[in-house]
Amino acid sequence: MASEIAFQALGIEKSFPGVKALKGVSLTLKTHSIHALLGENGAGKSTLIKIITGVHHPDAGRLILEGQEVHFGSPREAIAHRVGVVHQERNLIPRFSVAENIHLEQLGASLLKPVDYADLNKQAARWLEALGLDIDPRTPVSRLSVAKMQLVEIAKALSLRSRVLLLDEPTASLTSSETDLLFSFLRKLRDQGASLLFVSHKLEEAQELCDSVTVLRDGSNACESRPMEGLGRQDIVRLMIGRAEGEGGWRERNSTGAPPAIELKNIETSLGHVDVNLHVRKGEIVGLYGLVGAGRTELAKCILGQFPLTAGTVEIDGKPVKIRSVGEAIHTHRVGYVSEDRKGEGLVLMHSVLSNAGIAVWRPLSALLGFLTDRLVRHKVTPYIEKLEVKTPSLAQTVANLSGGNQQKISVAKWLAAGVKILLVDEPSVGIDIKTKAYLHDLLRELADNGTAILLITSDMPEMILLADRILVMNDYRLQGQLINDGSYAGMSEGIMNLIHRSEAA
Amino acid sequence: MNGSLANAVRSDWFGPLLVTIVAVAIVGGFNPSFLSPLNIQVLLLAIAVNGLIAFSQMLIIAIGQMNLSVGAIGGLCAIVFAGMMDAWHVPASLAALSALSLGVICGVINGFLIARTGISAFVITLASLSVYKGINLGITHAQPFYNISDGVKSIGQGAIFGIIPWLMLPTMAVGLALWFMLNRQPIGRFILAVGGNQHAAELSGISIANTVVIVHALSGFLAALAGLLLVARLQMGQPTIGDDWLILSFAAPVIGGAVLAGGHVSVPATLLGVVIVAIITQALVLFDIDPFLVQVVLGAMILAAVGANRFRESRLSRNLKRL
Repeated sequence: MASEIAFQALGIEKSFPGVKALKGVSLTLKTHSIHALLGENGAGKSTLIKIITGVHHPDAGRLILEGQEVHFGSPREAIAHRVGVVHQERNLIPRFSVAENIHLEQLGASLLKPVDYADLNKQAARWLEALGLDIDPRTPVSRLSVAKMQLVEIAKALSLRSRVLLLDEPTASLTSSETDLLFSFLRKLRDQGASLLFVSHKLEEAQELCDSVTVLRDGSNACESRPMEGLGRQDIVRLMIGRAEGEGGWRERNSTGAPPAIELKNIETSLGHVDVNLHVRKGEIVGLYGLVGAGRTELAKCILGQFPLTAGTVEIDGKPVKIRSVGEAIHTHRVGYVSEDRKGEGLVLMHSVLSNAGIAVWRPLSALLGFLTDRLVRHKVTPYIEKLEVKTPSLAQTVANLSGGNQQKISVAKWLAAGVKILLVDEPSVGIDIKTKAYLHDLLRELADNGTAILLITSDMPEMILLADRILVMNDYRLQGQLINDGSYAGMSEGIMNLIHRSEAA
Repeated sequence: MNGSLANAVRSDWFGPLLVTIVAVAIVGGFNPSFLSPLNIQVLLLAIAVNGLIAFSQMLIIAIGQMNLSVGAIGGLCAIVFAGMMDAWHVPASLAALSALSLGVICGVINGFLIARTGISAFVITLASLSVYKGINLGITHAQPFYNISDGVKSIGQGAIFGIIPWLMLPTMAVGLALWFMLNRQPIGRFILAVGGNQHAAELSGISIANTVVIVHALSGFLAALAGLLLVARLQMGQPTIGDDWLILSFAAPVIGGAVLAGGHVSVPATLLGVVIVAIITQALVLFDIDPFLVQVVLGAMILAAVGANRFRESRLSRNLKRL
């Protein structure tokens, strides 16, 4: 098959207030090819994709589509040039049908001509079939599972018959069989001559699927459009982080002698958990693994008192307690929660570093004196901010302007300042780079070594196996079993998947 | 329960319809004069005007915004309509056309400012409310225009078969057109898409700015039309027209299950919301209850409807999780 240049981005630069996101990045996509775009979070992948699809405008540089320089003023213009994209964020209209979501782009031809729903459904059915999806095109999208929604988004991009198709982390919420199906479909598209750009955090996937690769680091090309052949996993990691993968591996920790800091006995919750029994000892890191929607975050929120328990008891330090509100969990029982949704739940983005890090200590501090001064809060939180090496120009800086990694450090610092004894950590490394991630891992271990009981929720299996002493597996709001972590990735991951699938087979 | 009945129960119009029937039965049972032809005509007159007011706000709710200036636009257009006939002796049709165009212009100004500046609709329409109302008072010096054309007066008083007011016709036509637009035409789908997930709509190539401007233009048009009908009904151009529209404009769509965050409104259920408000207002009059209580009842109904909607949503999402 003759491979020609389909699309080129040359010397793209883009600045946002306070950061230079792209410093002259180039990329060449060929027909009959799947191209991997790799890089750590914050390296500029999403920014580059948004520039290629007309969401952002580059400050400098050129986009060349099939030999012609193009300027996309809006996503609409990119679509008109048949540059399609599956964005990382959910981009469906919840109450609209699958068919209408797939064909939303095409409705715009005339604003008043009545929509022919029968025809829309028929067309959509074709795309769904091509992807092997057994969904009635008339189903409202809000009734689909997250994975199905993802596949509908892919069908939506495909329906544009794009010449260039960009996929930003399309497999993030897919099971392995769904991923296989998607990959075989993408290969078919490639063989038909399409030019695909594939962004993923899963290096194994990128290596399996893609024939060429561009790596970004810190807004620049670490390598530009070279063949995937001959690159090993370690080579790619080195390109991504500029050095070999850090050690900081699993280490055996022994806390079996310590008393349980928190114990759940036969817990049932209003959210649907059934018969949950677990304990976390002082100084222990217990992992809670499960697929998206297994009920892990929900369990954490029930422990915190945000949703009521309907049966069972919670014991803290061996004494049964009733946690009626989040305030009580934090101030009376010293339970902290690092939210998976940093931007939505963990931080007040518009506020300063100081007030975010101090938010959990306001009450005890003000209870002491009846009023609150910045100096008092600063005195309390500064040691932790420094300890975590948060990179911020000042404590007055607005949190929204910091990088994801630094934001995450602040959401951990806030609980350190509050002096919690039990920390529930939910997906701590979503959206932060490998360096900060390793740092956070060390920090969590150090906290545990000093006696904090940590319940770690993560969907990142390597992270789980790196950190946890014990791993509990949850599926469908029930605990399926537990594994003592021996630090071997192959053995543990197989054990975990077996536990998940055992319950599905039953 | 069979499928179509279950679907009916889940739909937006089922609850309001049930409330309407029960309300008619109760009020009619206690006071048979409630169902007299005269009273029904009065009821329908209120529904005709209030329906347009509710639709005007409903469209803005559909994109997840709010329009505080609905009443100010309606009032301004009403006195321009009456004033042109009174002061300049302009023919009624031309005056109506000018007033409706003015409504569209007021809406476009709102929409344009919101789309261009990115300032919230709440703030923009709060400001324009004051501006439009100020112009109204500047023109009228708070004095009504009495000399409106006889044709307009007779339309305002006329009724088909002596019971259905002429003024019902524009409202029914608007209702049908809006239903068709929101359910069948791309522009209507775009409006709901922008309300449902603005980000997704934008990435699907829908122009947010254009959609916002179009919706506010339509909203302005409907507010103006409501103002015109009210001039016909009152037989004069009152400068106070529009002052008391705001609560009602939100109450009816919300009773009809509209999601204030946007993306979901129902034309028939909104109309039923208007009917319920009209019945209750009437009932308070029939039973000689202090009319000031109407405001209290309206407020309580908004709270109750929002509560009911939330309950329905949370039950729906819980059912989904179990699937």
